[in-house]
Amino acid sequence: MNDPRNRQYTNGDITVFWVPSKCIHATTCFRELIEVFNPGRRPWVNMDGAPTRKIIEVVNKCPTQALIWKNNQDLTEEEQKAQRSVVPTEETPRTLSGQEEPTSIRIMRDGPIVVEGRFSITGSEDQKLKPSTLTSFCRCGASRNMPYCDGTHRKIDFTDQNSAYGE
Amino acid sequence: MENENTRFKVIAGGPLKVTGRFQIKGPDGEIIETAEAVFLCRCGNSSNKPFCDGSHKQNGFAE
Repeated sequence: MNDPRNRQYTNGDITVFWVPSKCIHATTCFRELIEVFNPGRRPWVNMDGAPTRKIIEVVNKCPTQALIWKNNQDLTEEEQKAQRSVVPTEETPRTLSGQEEPTSIRIMRDGPIVVEGRFSITGSEDQKLKPSTLTSFCRCGASRNMPYCDGTHRKIDFTDQNSAYGE
Repeated sequence: MENENTRFKVIAGGPLKVTGRFQIKGPDGEIIETAEAVFLCRCGNSSNKPFCDGSHKQNGFAE
């Protein structure tokens, strides 16, 4: 755990540890919870993006334990100290395999549209929005950060009834 | 971004217009669209999700 690239993120309740050397880019974390795990953003983990129990559920699905979590009361002294230090740079998981692939647009069940690739976004007033290689668009109509997903679909119980893919 | 494959245009009070080279997959990984231009529902009320069916006009969707 002494690799200088390692990172930890907390919401005051639990701490998520990120060990880049163990990551095989299975992409489970951001497929399931882009509001928290977004490799297109710095820092790439936003612990305020979802409730603690949801973060735990997704961290537990990481196939290599590149992501693990601990209750904050179980942290070692060293880990508590690291919590307070400011870390200027971080790696992010590599997500793009082939640049010539068509842009991938994934419809998440009862959730957002997740886009990965090379793309541009123009806003509703014809303004150019910040470029990215990974983003998620709101599909429930209730985000307070339009046009992006902010996790509100869970609060309003958005569902995929009446969909073209047979729900 | 330079040389982008795909362009997204947010339509005020309406859908997301997508043009260019892209592939849309559904929740189970099935390919549901490979056309060159589509309109994706943003209001949450389409009866043909993920595509727009004009429902945003009935429900007064605004952001």
